[in-house]
Amino acid sequence: MSNDPMAEIRASFFVECEELLESLQDALNVMDEGAHDAETINVVFRAVHSIKGGAGAFGLDELVSFSHRFETVMEEVRSGRLDPTPEAIKLFFLTADLLQDIVRATRDGDAAPPGTEAVLAALETLLGEDGLQPEEAIDFAPMALSFDFGVTTAPDDAEREPGWSITFAPEAGLYTSGNEALLILRSLSQLGAATIRCLIPDDLPAPTGENAETPLLSWHVTLRGDVTEGDIRQVFDFVADVCRIEIAPLGHDAGLGGDLSALVVDAQEDATATVLDPAAAPPATDMGQTDGANAEYAADAPAAGRSSRAATAGAQATGANEPAATVRVDLEKIDRLVNLVGELVINQAMLAQSVEKAGIGHQSDVMSGLESFMMLTRDLQESVMMIRAQPVKPLFQRMARIVREASASVGKEVRLRTEGDFTEVDKTVIERLADPLTHMIRNAVDHGLEMPERRRAAGKSPEGLIVLSASHRAGRVLIEIEDDGAGINRPKVRDIAIRKGLIAPDAQLSDSEIDNLLFLPGFSTVSEVSALSGRGVGMDVVRSAITGLGGRITITSAPGRGTRFSISLPLTLAVLDGMVVQAADQTLVVPLSAIIETARLEPGNIHHLSASGEMMRIRSEFVPLFDLGQQLGFRDARHKAQSGIVLLISQEDGRRAALIVDAIMEQRQVVIKGLGQSYGNIPGVAAATILGDGQIALILDPADLVRAGTIPSHSDLKAAV
Amino acid sequence: MTARLTLPARLDLTAAKPLASDIAALAGDVELDASGVTHLGGLSLQVLLAAAQSCRAAGRSFAIVAPSTDFDAALTLFGVDPSHLTRNTAA
Repeated sequence: MSNDPMAEIRASFFVECEELLESLQDALNVMDEGAHDAETINVVFRAVHSIKGGAGAFGLDELVSFSHRFETVMEEVRSGRLDPTPEAIKLFFLTADLLQDIVRATRDGDAAPPGTEAVLAALETLLGEDGLQPEEAIDFAPMALSFDFGVTTAPDDAEREPGWSITFAPEAGLYTSGNEALLILRSLSQLGAATIRCLIPDDLPAPTGENAETPLLSWHVTLRGDVTEGDIRQVFDFVADVCRIEIAPLGHDAGLGGDLSALVVDAQEDATATVLDPAAAPPATDMGQTDGANAEYAADAPAAGRSSRAATAGAQATGANEPAATVRVDLEKIDRLVNLVGELVINQAMLAQSVEKAGIGHQSDVMSGLESFMMLTRDLQESVMMIRAQPVKPLFQRMARIVREASASVGKEVRLRTEGDFTEVDKTVIERLADPLTHMIRNAVDHGLEMPERRRAAGKSPEGLIVLSASHRAGRVLIEIEDDGAGINRPKVRDIAIRKGLIAPDAQLSDSEIDNLLFLPGFSTVSEVSALSGRGVGMDVVRSAITGLGGRITITSAPGRGTRFSISLPLTLAVLDGMVVQAADQTLVVPLSAIIETARLEPGNIHHLSASGEMMRIRSEFVPLFDLGQQLGFRDARHKAQSGIVLLISQEDGRRAALIVDAIMEQRQVVIKGLGQSYGNIPGVAAATILGDGQIALILDPADLVRAGTIPSHSDLKAAV
Repeated sequence: MTARLTLPARLDLTAAKPLASDIAALAGDVELDASGVTHLGGLSLQVLLAAAQSCRAAGRSFAIVAPSTDFDAALTLFGVDPSHLTRNTAA
């Protein structure tokens, strides 16, 4: 973490940008579905505007210039001068994608992505003769942004100064007891540089004598400067019991429970911040020169009441309800917490073991206390793991972009529907899922869906549909990619597999076995390499990525109706179900997901291929046999023709191998401990864990071990050491 | 038809109720003369904002004309954009 406040604000701006880009995508999706209501268009406008504003505060010229032009076009749409046709919306998607690229390139200090000029030119064409004016000055006024720096003072000054966020809602007694909101606001503004915003409900009742004395207005004040909470409380001394006050240091959201925070959201568009400086400077917000935010109010004024309802409806439609109260925490801190909880689990296991060793009976208080302790640690562990969980929505949005780009390049009409966007999955899982999902989505567009003419001929809509869904099922996450295309052409798949020598010409395969041929390395159904998915990476890479995450992938397909890939993933990567085994007096953990079965090794089933190669016959099938202890360099070649126990493991490509172990100890959940960078990449070893007795055990990656085992260098290595 | 009303100098607690009744009695487009206002309190502000909203919702125009310096200063302190009250007329 950096101590440079500016770098931190800058970082939080980019985080904010990601959120804005997300809502931008959401709103564009709603527009794409045909909703052109003012609020949805406003969401697009505001997102772009806010990015521009923040970028301006940091002097990110390129970002400012691009978003300004995007904003100009959206302003035209908002004012009704430009009709958001499907073509225009397509272009907006493209622009939004590019905006995202520019944001990321700016964040990472990379060169600007290509294609900017083409998109800007297309936007210009859309605008007609008016064209796009380059921005003259950044007319950034505060909008519904959580970072409202750049308003009162220069951003760095503003941030260095401590500040407070105050929400103040008078209740019935405040005015009738002779107090006055105006005086309180004045006192507050005398404490420091105050930004006052009146939160005006959209649905004020028409004034009557009866309701005139029921306070409905509330205020949000941002106070910067050297002010203590005590100073602020003092202002509210006489009214503390007749109003609701929330005081929080800046950076923490102040809200007074549900109704008021809803009100804050509603009021954000209408409210205009007034900046007051105790040093008698004139208000920084020039009311005459209102920017888009206020102009919008003027335009929509007669529909104010209705638009607020539309806004709520719009928000529900997009699923973008007002954000729940959240805190942003550095990932490092969470990981430390996860680690600590892992330690706690280990410690608890060690304690349980020593209690058992001490011979304390199962009925004793100590044991029952220990049991509830164990349950608590499990709960704690699960809760902590859930902190790392994130909704899959951003990932799905990335896929939406892939669909747009992929369908455009092959000339197919494709619609992506996502389900379960808010399903939460471990952050690392999400990150590592991006590549395989991208590949599968491209595959679905390229191979899964038919060309429009063929779809029409088959009596389907010319527009193909891909459904991407996520859900929790039985403690795992299920992600499905389903297309409504032609399904897997099984005779063709079979032919190709035979031609490539993957299966015997006379092999009898069930439908699902044929479908699973797609996962074999070196399998590609298209004869010519297409620009899209035929890049020499096949579904085997997808499968190995999924297995790498401890997941499984299955495929189902119905001819003429489509194909569905189902990915089942563990909720977290921090714990793992493993089998604790012994080999050459070492305790090792083999992930349960890699083990197909265990079997006894009878000397009669061992067949020698060459000096070093051994095969084992299991159920009339021959699998390569490896000695785990030897493979890891713990011992020299074991005595031949000796019986033992084997673990039958499945490699990523579906081939099997047998690992000889000395004993199977137990099956248990283990906490994964990274080995750290200093050891480098050790072939066959994935990580380590600490067992209940305090012993450290390596967690193996059997597939990697077997792959490495084909190079007979391990015993040489051992000899050299 | 535009109904015109001159606002009293002190729009404080005691003024809110009468103000609400007076405005409620107006028909058609509304124009409020704020040239003589020396004090604007929170409740009266609310009455004015509510009146502006309900007029707009009904398609009537609502305007505050000739606001005094004190009136504008109060709006600034309240953090209310004057355009909510003064600039808008129904289209």
